Amino acid sequence: MGKYILKRLGISLLTLLVLITIVFILVRLMPGDPFASDKLTPEIRQNLERYYGFDKPIIVQYFTYIKNILNGDFGYSMKYINQSVNTIIADSFPYSFDLGMRGLSVSISLGLVLGIIAALNRGKTLDYMSVIIAIIGTSVPDFIIGGLLQYFFGIKWGLFPVAQYKGIEYTILPSIALGFYTLAMVSRIMRASMLEVVQQDYIKTAKSKGISNFRITAKHQIRNAIMPVVTVLGPTVASVLTGTFVVESIFAIPGMGKYYVQSVQNLDYSLILGMTVFYGAFLVLANMVVDILYGVIDPRIRVAGK
Amino acid sequence: MIKFKKLISLFLVVVMCFSLAACSTPGENANANTEQKNDQQTEQTTNDGKKVLRYSLTADAPTLDPQLMNSIPSSTVGFHIYEGLMRNHVGEIQPGMAESYDLSTDGKTYTFHLRDAKWSDGVAIKAADYEYAMKRLVDPATASDYSFLVTTLIKNAGEINAGNMPVDELGVKALDDKTLTIELNNPTGYFLSMLSMSQLCPVRQDVVEKYGKDYAADAEKNVYSGPFIVKEWKHEDRIILEKNPNYWNKDAINLEEVHILTVADPMTAVAMYEEGELDFVNVPSEVLKNYEDKVIYYNDGANDFIKLNLDGSSELKSKDLRLALNFALNREDYVLLSSQNMYQPNTRYVLPQVNGVEKAYSEEYPFEAFPVKGDTTKAKEHLTLAMKELGVSDPSKIELELLTTDQERTRIEAEVLQNQLQTALGITVNIRQVPYKQRLEMESNHEFEMVVTGWVPDYPDPMSYLELWPTGSPYNHGSYSSAVYDGYIKDALSNTDAKLRMDALFNAEKTLLQDGAIVPLQLRRNAMLINEKVKGFETYFVGINFDYIYADIVE
Repeated sequence: MGKYILKRLGISLLTLLVLITIVFILVRLMPGDPFASDKLTPEIRQNLERYYGFDKPIIVQYFTYIKNILNGDFGYSMKYINQSVNTIIADSFPYSFDLGMRGLSVSISLGLVLGIIAALNRGKTLDYMSVIIAIIGTSVPDFIIGGLLQYFFGIKWGLFPVAQYKGIEYTILPSIALGFYTLAMVSRIMRASMLEVVQQDYIKTAKSKGISNFRITAKHQIRNAIMPVVTVLGPTVASVLTGTFVVESIFAIPGMGKYYVQSVQNLDYSLILGMTVFYGAFLVLANMVVDILYGVIDPRIRVAGK
Repeated sequence: MIKFKKLISLFLVVVMCFSLAACSTPGENANANTEQKNDQQTEQTTNDGKKVLRYSLTADAPTLDPQLMNSIPSSTVGFHIYEGLMRNHVGEIQPGMAESYDLSTDGKTYTFHLRDAKWSDGVAIKAADYEYAMKRLVDPATASDYSFLVTTLIKNAGEINAGNMPVDELGVKALDDKTLTIELNNPTGYFLSMLSMSQLCPVRQDVVEKYGKDYAADAEKNVYSGPFIVKEWKHEDRIILEKNPNYWNKDAINLEEVHILTVADPMTAVAMYEEGELDFVNVPSEVLKNYEDKVIYYNDGANDFIKLNLDGSSELKSKDLRLALNFALNREDYVLLSSQNMYQPNTRYVLPQVNGVEKAYSEEYPFEAFPVKGDTTKAKEHLTLAMKELGVSDPSKIELELLTTDQERTRIEAEVLQNQLQTALGITVNIRQVPYKQRLEMESNHEFEMVVTGWVPDYPDPMSYLELWPTGSPYNHGSYSSAVYDGYIKDALSNTDAKLRMDALFNAEKTLLQDGAIVPLQLRRNAMLINEKVKGFETYFVGINFDYIYADIVE
């Protein structure tokens, strides 16, 4: 296992390096000029280029950037002029992470329960109800869910604050808006997977051994069915925890998702790069945890890894 | 079996971690609880009669470093926390840090006499702090976007900014702790009105050098000279201003706190206003109908027009074609269709609100270059002449590209323009939408035929608009070149008689419009809702949006 993790770690670092290189080139290929403004003169543009080191050859810029990253320094934002990318991430990530955690913990557990209930009641009312919830969750975009939650629970009924993040009660609506899609997705995958597992030979074997239905479901069916859910959780967790633009905008949350989208619009090279590397590292980490979890859940994978 | 139990316990541990994480407030660790209590206290005391003004911005102020500021939201905050030599209170020039000033007979050298005042940390404010700040603004190493404010104005500023002269040559000198002289290139009547712009406000060398690049990045990494200090700055969340106990004119300040929240979604801001969480909000045009009888309109200084490229690469080299475009548009219909009358139609170039000699410019120099509803007959006459000149027999063969930003609002604007021009003239107009930054780049590289663009003034004088179009100006992206126009501008720059200078500027504006160098479109407005308890909250159209220095909350 240790060797396996080490190998995964090596591949992850290589992935990140490739990611940095590609993004470093891509931001510079984006149309538009980061310094462009209505009132830019050639002299000021020259001063700005010198200030950010853009007057040097691109290869020099690249190695300087890599060197700085190795020292843990992502540089300064070009839009939020006095703020380093490190502090922007350190300030904004905890909000996105916190909301994401709340949203995920509820939506994953509820999604699993919903999926299991639907599978066990295949073709009955409960199944259809879960299908309806899942369809709404996957097809209604978060800006509509967020807007509706805000309108009814915040404005019309006054049960929760309309926006901002000042305490626990402020997190409830955005967490629900964030988690709704995950809930729907998890329940659909879990249902399908449960139905597939039930056809497997080992379930038949268990039945023929006379084990009760409850024990079969609890010990064999759920455990094997959960694998595909774990697979999709890696990327989902990474993307939810690093924040989403829409939900953060609607509820005025100072999270990372908003910065990420705006940095692209502003052509804020250093912030785009810093955020992408951070997000990339998070995704790679999440996938690695998923791979390790496979081993914990499924003995066959663990054996193969050795 | 045992392993499955392990799995369950693992799952439980993970869930517990989630819920534990969910209990802490991010951004703070040990301070989390006190922080929250503070919030509650603030809210309670608001009700207890503490005078607090609350409003929101769609994006956080990008910086509060005065010399690096490059946006209106930043400058508006800067205006309230830094004190310039003079104070421009919605157009009225009041004494600021300077008690008085003398002007040399040639109108080029100002000598300011500073009052006794202190920074927020108790250190005396000196003339040297102003000298240091202005040198910092033009120093190429600072790389300030806004150094253009003074590069043509203050002696040697342009050469220094271009890296051709040492910073010490700047025409700004502190003669002693209380006396500052500023030498200008030309007599400039509007110079005093610019002195409250944050970019020209003082900074303390020791504080700037102590924090280096992080200067002003957080509330405590700065010292303040203005009516308010920054008490707390949580990025992308809120800026809390507090009355500055060291401010020289603190008795005139009524507000105890100002809360500036970041709320990206304008609809959310309206909802928060409805809930009583904000005292002031801009209503987006989508829901303007619901508030039509309650809103107050104000101009923010933005003036939109179509910039035409006259470099000879397209049919726009024909003056008659350009005039045809101008006469063809019905600007009244245009603002109705594209902004539901949020914006006002405009048929001239200089913002009407800027200063004339005594009154507003547009009052002293009324002018309508083109009828606001358009004149199709005249447009067609010009088109016929243009077609002759260009040797075209079929108007639809005249094909022009209209460049615009890739937003919903700008798309609708472009479609209305396209429709009006094609219907009235029979020419072909193609719309091209690109991201904002790309549009700006294409503009400054002269890579366009027609582009929907605009300008906001940097000082309340017609020159702020007219300085764009002299031959060779760095902002002259349309390659307009007219000896007549250049002559009027030269006149205005050197003339010390206010009336003659203003006449020259008006003649320049007329020349520009009669040459059809641009197509004026609209003046932008905002519609605001404001809590009736707030008194003395002013809007302004140069450099800042709001002036609430003397505002008050009256229960």
